[in-house]
Amino acid sequence: MRTKFFASPTRRSIIIILIASVFGLFAFRLFQMQVVQHQAYDEKSAGNSIKAMEQTPLRGVFLDRNGKVLVDNIPAYTLRVTPVDYDTSLNKILETILDAEPGYISRILLNNRIYSKYVPIRIKRGISFEVVSWLEENEQHLAGVDYIVEMQRGYPGGIMGSHMFGYTKEISPQQLEKENEYYNPGDYVGHNGIEKTYEHVLRGEKGYNYVLVDSKRKEIGRYKEGLRDETSVKGHDLMLSIDADAQLVAEHEFIGKRGALVAIEPATGEIIALVSAPDYDLNEFSYVTSREFLSKLYNDPDKPSFNRATMSVKPPGSTYKILSAIAALDMGVITPQTTFFCGGSFTFGRSFKCHGAHGSVNVIQAIEKSCNVFFYNLIYKIGLDKFAEYSRRFGFSGKTGIDIGEEVPGFIPKTDYFIKMYGEKWPRSIMASLAIGQGEVSVTPLQLAQYTALIANNGKSFTPHIAKGYADDNTKKLIPFNFNKLNVNIRQEVFDIVKQGMYLVVNGAGTATHIRMIELNISGKTGTAQNPHGKDHALFICFAPSENPKIAVAVVVENVGFGATHAAPIAKKVIEAYLLKDKLKQKDEMLLPKIDDKIAGASFAD
Amino acid sequence: MQIDYKLKDKFELGIFFPALFLIIIGLLAVFSATSNNPAAEGNFQKQLFWAVLSIVIFFIVYFLPTNTFRMISIPAYLFSLLLLVIVLVAGKKVSGARSWLDLGLLGFQPAEFAKIGTILALSAFLSRRNTDIESFSDIIKALSIGFIPVALILLEPDMGTSFVFVGLILTLIFWKGISLFGLFLVLSPAMVAVASLFGTIYFISAVVIVLAALLFFKKNIFFSGSIIAFNIGAGFFTDYVYNALSPHQQKRIQSFIDPMADPLGAGYNAIQAKVAIGSGGFFGKGFLNGNQTQLQYIPEQWTDFIYCVIGEEFGFIGSIVTLGLFFFLFIRILRTASVAKDEFLSLLIIGILSVYFIHLLINIGMVLGIMPVIGIPLPFVSYGGSSLLVNVFMLGIIANIYRTRKEYT
Repeated sequence: MRTKFFASPTRRSIIIILIASVFGLFAFRLFQMQVVQHQAYDEKSAGNSIKAMEQTPLRGVFLDRNGKVLVDNIPAYTLRVTPVDYDTSLNKILETILDAEPGYISRILLNNRIYSKYVPIRIKRGISFEVVSWLEENEQHLAGVDYIVEMQRGYPGGIMGSHMFGYTKEISPQQLEKENEYYNPGDYVGHNGIEKTYEHVLRGEKGYNYVLVDSKRKEIGRYKEGLRDETSVKGHDLMLSIDADAQLVAEHEFIGKRGALVAIEPATGEIIALVSAPDYDLNEFSYVTSREFLSKLYNDPDKPSFNRATMSVKPPGSTYKILSAIAALDMGVITPQTTFFCGGSFTFGRSFKCHGAHGSVNVIQAIEKSCNVFFYNLIYKIGLDKFAEYSRRFGFSGKTGIDIGEEVPGFIPKTDYFIKMYGEKWPRSIMASLAIGQGEVSVTPLQLAQYTALIANNGKSFTPHIAKGYADDNTKKLIPFNFNKLNVNIRQEVFDIVKQGMYLVVNGAGTATHIRMIELNISGKTGTAQNPHGKDHALFICFAPSENPKIAVAVVVENVGFGATHAAPIAKKVIEAYLLKDKLKQKDEMLLPKIDDKIAGASFAD
Repeated sequence: MQIDYKLKDKFELGIFFPALFLIIIGLLAVFSATSNNPAAEGNFQKQLFWAVLSIVIFFIVYFLPTNTFRMISIPAYLFSLLLLVIVLVAGKKVSGARSWLDLGLLGFQPAEFAKIGTILALSAFLSRRNTDIESFSDIIKALSIGFIPVALILLEPDMGTSFVFVGLILTLIFWKGISLFGLFLVLSPAMVAVASLFGTIYFISAVVIVLAALLFFKKNIFFSGSIIAFNIGAGFFTDYVYNALSPHQQKRIQSFIDPMADPLGAGYNAIQAKVAIGSGGFFGKGFLNGNQTQLQYIPEQWTDFIYCVIGEEFGFIGSIVTLGLFFFLFIRILRTASVAKDEFLSLLIIGILSVYFIHLLINIGMVLGIMPVIGIPLPFVSYGGSSLLVNVFMLGIIANIYRTRKEYT
């Protein structure tokens, strides 16, 4: 029965309209998605499938003042496991090979389970070459196990430099939060020393390789054949003012001792050598630090991790007599002709001893002989607050601003300190020992070195620093860093006078004549800091050549006794290594096998 | 010229060529979607084989005596029902639905063949000399013929194909000439059912609309009351069906309402499909260069999400060309349906058109994010042997009817 509506034109039109509106809707929607909102979808798509693989830039190396490499980058092997291909039954054998405790691998894999199973997980960094060989030999049985080469710090010169170079370490969450525009979790960052101070110079610029990943984050190829990749830019090489020869000798001299040595170029403030002993092997920090090493390091009663050069404070002993002399001469309270009589002791409220009876001495003789009585007299002429002011001018009781961070200011008392401690009527006798660097004065070896440098260069220098500048990668020229100028504003005659005394300490009838040498003249001052807890600390400050100082050295050796005996020879060795390089080298050639053994560093470690 | 005219008179090029182009586009897209996927190795070759076979089948159907279709309508329908029952018992489960019949060498989906059987049977019933589409009993009979396979397919459960059948039934009775009220009677329960899925407020609003329509038609109280009761019943029934759905299908319905609620779960495909199409831009990323496609962001993209490959690699141009081919094809089919004077044959064509159209509506609507994710292939384009063969078989029927249109008036 045919109805009047069967296949009617109206019904046909309704169907056409229906079809047309659906197609119209789809076309509109396509236009909206593919033309109008294309950008947004494109970004989503790219974010989906293009993964930026970070390329860690090569860290800048450290060169010594003559361009010799002190710290560089060496390849290290890292073992990885890709969970999707990996059979956990291999855990046991891998743990044996890696010398890890049972359960080590499964623990790491468990910690990283949030990542796609196609992403390789680092199991152990810094695996030995033997392990690498083993991996290669047994490759076919080790599905899902591989190794990659990553760079770690190497110390090729046999120089420890523990306290100045510092080391890199995985970035802390706190620092990451502050500097998240560059760093990612797991990045290594300079943790202390030079590595920390010059992190921004050394780190370089990260590179990125863009790879395509599928929906399971499995890598399946390069994005645009690597055309969009950005290569990483190596960090700048840092030129240090350290002299490798002087540093090596200084470190060698301190083996088995406790103490510190700082050598500075007087005219520039450049640090030539810096040692804090005992030190520790930075290689242990270059990738993953073993727990045993850390506990050994931190539980050692000699505190190897403590930077004695900048952090340990001690009374400067007789080395401080130069400061008293300078203050008195500059203030005009004495002249070079002023003499005091030393009968072996000085009485002010109580008796203060001298280590001999020097008779009538002027300031030059007093320095030469290190006469205590002369200086006991001086301090009462200078006055406590002036004494403190001159100390401050030479950089004491304040941080020097050295470019390795950790540093303490030390302490020089003023009147208000004694008032606070002992009341308005504090016994003036306390002052006497300050003049000879004993009692309530404390300084760091670095401050002593700066003080010596200032004396050597007639009161002018720069803030002590280890890095001279960095190498420009295009021009290969040194871009120098700027440091503050120092000037103590003291008359030249004053320096001339005290320097005469210091010359005689070594070259006259003074306390350090045993380090006198033919090739060049050393001027110095010995010191012995009294130690209520044990043997005295030996100190020695000096500069050389006396006529035109190129190096100023401060040496502190703890708990050994007299400065002249224990500290001065070390300073002499360092001066020789620095100033008589060429002559020493000639000697080295004659004794090649023996010295070579030393330089290789093997004998050091024992 | 003479020969050319004769060919055009006997062979509707406007139906054959759009479909052929769509099959070719489909082959390219399948090639692209499977080229980097070891799990889909050989799928392109299989599809190429089906494509060649389907053209052979097209011409076989084209040359059949047109009477054959009427003759096979009842047996084909009954055979389809038999297969649908068999698949429920012995079928293979593919992604949650027991829809595959595995016959050793080749497997197929009985629901695909049931489309042909149902169109044939329903067209035959509606074109009977004594069928009155305005009579309540004939409407019920027509709906029964249509809904028996729907019920069987829902048991698999295959929601997408069920929708196709519902659309097919409605289109056929519409083309037959059902009155506005009759159509309202058939449509209103469906409307209420869909509304109830969205929540109580939508359900109540739908019932109110039905009530208003009943007032408009001014039928007697008793009749109107039964209609309302039936509609409310349909709403609750839907709720029951929804609860009976497998959890992954429930999730798909939920994820349509808010795809971002579960971006890595059921909404994942919907989002990735949109990203693929949108990132294609105006000109596309180029053949084999779509990263969404090549990196397998969309699982089994060569089947239901094939349009994403086109959208991503051939861009707006490619998407619109594909859409245009469909539009041209549909209008030509519709024209053939009007040209065919025989009621059975005309209904047959409209039924086939509705199947194509609903597939397209759900499939492209889904990948464009304006329809829920319902697994259903895009005719001629998606990978799949039974789907392609059945679609081309039906296209052969239309071409056949065009060939003999002047003999059946």
